[in-house]
Amino acid sequence: MGLKRPREETMGENKAEKREKPDQATSPFMPMFENFRKELDEHHDRRERIIKASRDITASSKKIIFTLQRVRKLGQPMPQFVVKGNAQYWETIEKQYQSISADVQGLNAFRYGSNITGGNQEFMEALSFQHYLENQTLVSYEEAKSKIASMSGAGGAVLLTPEDYILGIFDMVGELMRFSITTMATNGKLPAGEPKTAGTSNRDSHEDKMDVDQQPPVTVSDGEPRNVLSDLRALRLQLEMFEPSGGRFESDVRKKADVMRECVDKVEKALYGLMVRGTERPKGWVPGLREEKRAEVESH
Amino acid sequence: MAAPPGMIDPSIFEGLQAKVDEDTAVRDELKDIIQALEKNNRNISFVQSRAHSTPVAQLASIIQASEDPIKNAIESISRLAGVASKQPYYKFNFMWTRQVQDAIYSVLLWAWLGGKDFGDGKIKCGRLLTIEELGEVLNVPVNLKDQDEFHITIEEYLLALVSLVEELTRLARNAVTLGDYERPVLINQFVKDVFAGFQILNLKNDVLRRRGDGLKYRVKDVEDVVYDLSLRNLLPKKEQE
Repeated sequence: MGLKRPREETMGENKAEKREKPDQATSPFMPMFENFRKELDEHHDRRERIIKASRDITASSKKIIFTLQRVRKLGQPMPQFVVKGNAQYWETIEKQYQSISADVQGLNAFRYGSNITGGNQEFMEALSFQHYLENQTLVSYEEAKSKIASMSGAGGAVLLTPEDYILGIFDMVGELMRFSITTMATNGKLPAGEPKTAGTSNRDSHEDKMDVDQQPPVTVSDGEPRNVLSDLRALRLQLEMFEPSGGRFESDVRKKADVMRECVDKVEKALYGLMVRGTERPKGWVPGLREEKRAEVESH
Repeated sequence: MAAPPGMIDPSIFEGLQAKVDEDTAVRDELKDIIQALEKNNRNISFVQSRAHSTPVAQLASIIQASEDPIKNAIESISRLAGVASKQPYYKFNFMWTRQVQDAIYSVLLWAWLGGKDFGDGKIKCGRLLTIEELGEVLNVPVNLKDQDEFHITIEEYLLALVSLVEELTRLARNAVTLGDYERPVLINQFVKDVFAGFQILNLKNDVLRRRGDGLKYRVKDVEDVVYDLSLRNLLPKKEQE
């Protein structure tokens, strides 16, 4: 064996030739390994690009969600501050999807699935949350998939797998919980769709609200708009009925299902508090937290 | 949108469930084949493990005995390729990559022991199948880049190669026990050549890196054997030519 060479040198492209002569000329396997090196380098480059894009998509999606949490009304077009504030994040996400779309075509469509799934899930969360706020319905998998495809540009679509979609929806439940609790605390009531008479500004979701109680878990009486809790329960039902296919996805679903149930519980508890003592409390009172504290003190 | 009642269009989850169920059916089909391949691999290694206690002069019997089990493994792999090629390759690749690596390793060992050049009945150890030659033996494509079909990946080949080096390290010691002082020298050179190849790869923090990092210890292990032999003047003299 020849001399050891500093690692930096092995990274350089041009130095490849120089290096072989003194060092590895003896190994008959070198030509094969050189080819491997080239291909592994390409693979690692692709993977790194995708990991970075996934991270940026995640960060921008979180910011979008953050802005969306300041919305107080359901089933209305996005207010100006949301549209303006989030424009740059949508742009970033689109740019990131475009930057990797060529890397995930053909044979490589599923190769980097574990590297992009984080970004896809977070984006799914943002997309479905905004869609819900606007339409008070759940965005479908096909819609979400083609949304990402349309953002991926000329290089071809970045794939959104059913797994990405489902896991993103699980996370969206958490956002609905936060949305419900804050709205209850500020407005003193559970967010619900506008009554149909008031809804001139409502868009295609308008008809949805007329036949609310055909969904089994929805127990709102005729003509009343659905509220977030009934929607959460509908989501919970569907997500609990869903059977994952085993492997990593199944364990992810199990974990997220626990969190999802807690979220729905929290809204139910908050609403209970609001109903029982709501009239006694001033506006802005947050139900859950203070309840717990008081209980603790009394038990001492 | 066709205005389904309520929050959730029920067809959303029906559609997703159908997709996931389809995947489950594919997995089940693959699982059977992969289990068969696993069994084939065990049968091969059952035969090949005798190499550690068999002098070179009698290696031919092991080569012959391993022929049928290897054929079975190759058959399983073509069945696997048939089913897997109907799906996106990397969607299910994780299911079989381990078993395919084991099969590759078996074939690499078979070739190293002289199986590939066995035509004239003489045993010559030390051959490394290139990834292309391996593909010919297994009758499947290797390192595809444009077609989304079943193939052997570079990573699988390299990981199997690490296994081969580990096995040969063991063989170097056992050869000495059998009174064979030639093969340790051969193995020493082979392991070094493979190690030199791995050194030019820019490995990232993955399984290939972890296993590749172990190679240097194997190099040292074999060097120690050769050192012990040379210290006692046991190395064959004709080795130079």
